[in-house]
Amino acid sequence: MRSNEENSLTVGGLDWMTILVYTVLVLMGWINIYAAVYDEAHSSIFDISQRYGMQLIWIGVSAFIAISILLIDDKYYHILAYPLYWFSILVLIGVLLFGKEVNGAKSWLFGIQPSEFVKFTTALALARYMSSYSFDIRNLKHLLHVAILLGLPVLIVMLQNDTGSALVFGSFLFMLYREGFNGWVYVALIMIISLFIFSFLLEPTALLIVLILVCVVGEGMTNGNWKSKAIYLAGLALGSTLIYTVCQLLLSIDISWYLSILIAATLSIGVVILYAYRYKINNILTFILLFFGSLGFTYTVDYVFNNVLQIHQQKRILDLLGLESDLNHWGYNVNQSKIAIGSGGFTGKGFLEGTQTKFNFVPEQSTDFIFCTVGEEWGFIGSAIVIILFVILILRLIRMGERQQEPFGRIYCYCVASVFLFHVTINIGMTIGIMPVIGIPLPFFSYGGSSLIAFTILLFVAIKLDASKHNESPFVNQ
Amino acid sequence: MNRSNRIRTLKGTVLLIAVVILLRLFYIQVLDETYKTNAANNVLRYMVQYPPRGEVYDRNGEFLVQSKEAYDLMVTPREVHDLDTLLMSRILEIPVEQLREELAKARRYSPYRASVVVKQLPKETKLKLEEHSFPGFYTVYRTVRSYPTKMAGNLLGYVGEVNERIIERNPYYRSGDYIGMSGIEQAYEEVLRGVKGVKIEMVDVHGVPQGSYANGIYDTLASPGVAITCTIDARLQALAEELMQGKVGSVVAIEPETGEILVMASSPTYDPDELVGRERGNNYMKLLNDPRRPLYNRAVMSPYPPGSTFKVLQGLIGLQEGVLVPEQTYPCHGGYPYGRGMKCHAHSSPRDLKGAIQTSCNAYFCYVFRNIIENKKYKNIEEGFDVWGDYVRSFGYGRKLGSDFNGELNGNVPTSAFYDKAYRGRWNGLTIISLSIGQGEMGCTPLQMANMVATIANRGYYRIPHVVKRIHDRDSIDSRFYEKHYTKVDSRHFDPIVEGMYMAVNEGGTGHVAMVPGLDICGKTGTAQNPHGRDNSTFFCFAPRNNPKIAVSVYIENGGFGATVAAPIASLLTEYYLTDTIKRPDLVERIKTMQIAYPYYEKQRGK
Repeated sequence: MRSNEENSLTVGGLDWMTILVYTVLVLMGWINIYAAVYDEAHSSIFDISQRYGMQLIWIGVSAFIAISILLIDDKYYHILAYPLYWFSILVLIGVLLFGKEVNGAKSWLFGIQPSEFVKFTTALALARYMSSYSFDIRNLKHLLHVAILLGLPVLIVMLQNDTGSALVFGSFLFMLYREGFNGWVYVALIMIISLFIFSFLLEPTALLIVLILVCVVGEGMTNGNWKSKAIYLAGLALGSTLIYTVCQLLLSIDISWYLSILIAATLSIGVVILYAYRYKINNILTFILLFFGSLGFTYTVDYVFNNVLQIHQQKRILDLLGLESDLNHWGYNVNQSKIAIGSGGFTGKGFLEGTQTKFNFVPEQSTDFIFCTVGEEWGFIGSAIVIILFVILILRLIRMGERQQEPFGRIYCYCVASVFLFHVTINIGMTIGIMPVIGIPLPFFSYGGSSLIAFTILLFVAIKLDASKHNESPFVNQ
Repeated sequence: MNRSNRIRTLKGTVLLIAVVILLRLFYIQVLDETYKTNAANNVLRYMVQYPPRGEVYDRNGEFLVQSKEAYDLMVTPREVHDLDTLLMSRILEIPVEQLREELAKARRYSPYRASVVVKQLPKETKLKLEEHSFPGFYTVYRTVRSYPTKMAGNLLGYVGEVNERIIERNPYYRSGDYIGMSGIEQAYEEVLRGVKGVKIEMVDVHGVPQGSYANGIYDTLASPGVAITCTIDARLQALAEELMQGKVGSVVAIEPETGEILVMASSPTYDPDELVGRERGNNYMKLLNDPRRPLYNRAVMSPYPPGSTFKVLQGLIGLQEGVLVPEQTYPCHGGYPYGRGMKCHAHSSPRDLKGAIQTSCNAYFCYVFRNIIENKKYKNIEEGFDVWGDYVRSFGYGRKLGSDFNGELNGNVPTSAFYDKAYRGRWNGLTIISLSIGQGEMGCTPLQMANMVATIANRGYYRIPHVVKRIHDRDSIDSRFYEKHYTKVDSRHFDPIVEGMYMAVNEGGTGHVAMVPGLDICGKTGTAQNPHGRDNSTFFCFAPRNNPKIAVSVYIENGGFGATVAAPIASLLTEYYLTDTIKRPDLVERIKTMQIAYPYYEKQRGK
């Protein structure tokens, strides 16, 4: 049974709540673009030499597209999923060959940024593939196919040197979790990210101790018997002290604590294996592997950081972790962004009153750093409203997904939710200095036709799928 | 179950992320104030509005210091185009290379922000600049000082740009501000400077102005400096400086009743206009390196031995202490015969008090001095000497008088402790007998000596000498200048002393040269030994005898006898002040052209 309240929100089967949130966000976005590029010489809102004028056109186009989507039969999305996907891949390759370079990324073709639309086609293709009856997420071969569907666009976008847009495809992990993807993958991911961060923040010795503790405590939580864990740790401490003292005093070898602990831990493996064999606890092996895997990872972090990442990426990470601060160069953008947002206070400075906004202290303000305008002119209240609206939108998409009868629609809705969550988190996170600077737009806010239209398509196809399913099978809910 | 757990986990993740972002936003927007400060630093530029500096008049309303408008030429390099540097350098009257270098310097500082190209341009130059249009250039209103009378440099002082130390000490000042560096300019800085205003402007990321902040409600107007009327009589000051030409020393004249300083001349002096404008630095160095030290204000800084003028003070103390009566006579046959002795010039003997002052008898005051300090009512000479010291200090000697004039020095009145130390406790009245005639360790500034004679003119009190008569936005000057300071000598004891000083000038005494019929000048000469050459010539006087209007003290280094040069100068100034005319033009001419040699100073030139 659906409640009356929900009825009122779904006139014609449409999720009007979502459409309302969408409309409010788009209008707020436009107002903030107007403020970001405003100058007294050009104040007519229809002036298409200005970005707000152009954005108005893009909003019109988006509205047209949105209505068209609602009118087109939704079965085409299922049919056209693969053709659209392969077509978009071809276009991406075309961009790679003939595209125009903007800000270091070669991602533009005829004034549009096709990578924005690939999110949509990839979402459709994934939904199509994963909704087939034979699909099993535990099947490695099927997972490989999913990886290829995801990997192709990622690879090409990376080749365009648009790392930000490539990372967006990682957000589909959100959808995959819903579809039953192995939970350990997520644990491992979290661990890798934490290890990455801690390998910067902690001294090697401290990191080693933390690793040992995490593995021992993890094993303890799995198998119990805390007393033996305590004995093991005490023995390890004693052993490493012994090694250190003997080497330093008797053998006159200048050994570090790090090495002493590492030797003690390695030697202890034999004892641990004996213990595991005797009590038949096989998963101890997992923790031994985890320990050495993590240790190995910390050695590769430095290499990856220095040789794989580009200089601006390195600097952004160092700045984020507070390890290096260069406010005039690498850290300038984020610092100015924080100043603009921070100076907004609780209620903001008011429309067109933001001094940091008006006088262009934040570069890229109408695109990637549009949230600065929100923060400065509308304050904490305005920022909170924007964030709450996005939360409503994402939760709404999850809900739409859950009430689909077909896995196709559900997977698609989750894909859309994933993309929005990623964009909002990264974009707002970077403007307030809790995420590294990754140049991706804030949905509906950042200036740009491609992104606005692509997000509109993503969302309205979800709304259309949702509306159709309601209308087609009213009996299911009874 | 697993499925709905997963959905819940995903929803929880979304909410967790939202909460983290909201908390972070709350922290930087509401809790942390530094971002607001940083934003203001980004965008607000405080433009100083300079007030015109207050002007200074003499007691008759004549300008001593004027504020002339001047303009600093500023440039914003980014906005400069099609500049004809040759034309501009011709207008500015500076070499074209210098102009180019200044412009390059400004560009290096910032292409977007304004920097100074040339300071203190006269108005005519500003107008000429405006005839041609020079994009990127503009002028800022400042004021510079001008000194129409070209005199009293040390008295008026000069104005200079603040340095780092001043800025650190006093937050009112910012780099580029002017401040009074000496004299009245320094003493009355807070009155004269006015209050700076501020215009708050908003600038964009390039530093380009974007209009006033909050429609100017936080802007303040500059309020002009307040004018001051000086106690100085410009005509008298001019005469004093004229007469002091070629001599090193000082003249101070005071109106006894009020303590107003009529003349304060220190010689050599300098033209204060030399310390204004572009040549300032060079001129300053020239003055600084002049061996006669024209920047040193001798009137308040030089501790001279007072010489025989000090004898009147011995007489006063003797009378008050009861060890002397006016009728007391002492013999003098060429000097004071005790101890190492003290020579005296030829005069009839014996003399009473008046006669001793009239003829400036050394021996007489040796007796008086010893009687004061060796008085049996004190348990020893130390006590007696310190009683004497207290009397001397009550006349304003040995300490700053507390004038409104910066740079006053204490001078020196020795104490018994000083002699105990110097002579290891073995000294007596004979050891320090030279104090009786104003030699030895006594050090008095010309201002203190002028104050002394003003005190005698007032028969026992003085008002602190000061140079400012009126501050134009106030009803009164500092209350300390209205207070009467009585000495420790009763008023009645002054009559015989005044009589003696009258006789010294009018009845064939040592100061005879100072006599002007009808003016009743009372004076005392002094001839003080100078270790660096000829004796110093000094003279102080007041006139008329009853109800005195002016007290003058003149001190000329190496001038010889008091009567040689100091007395004529004091006499001429008194005459001019009281009668507005000078009946002895040949005396003026003679004194004016008198050049005294100063081998001591000239020797220092090499160093």
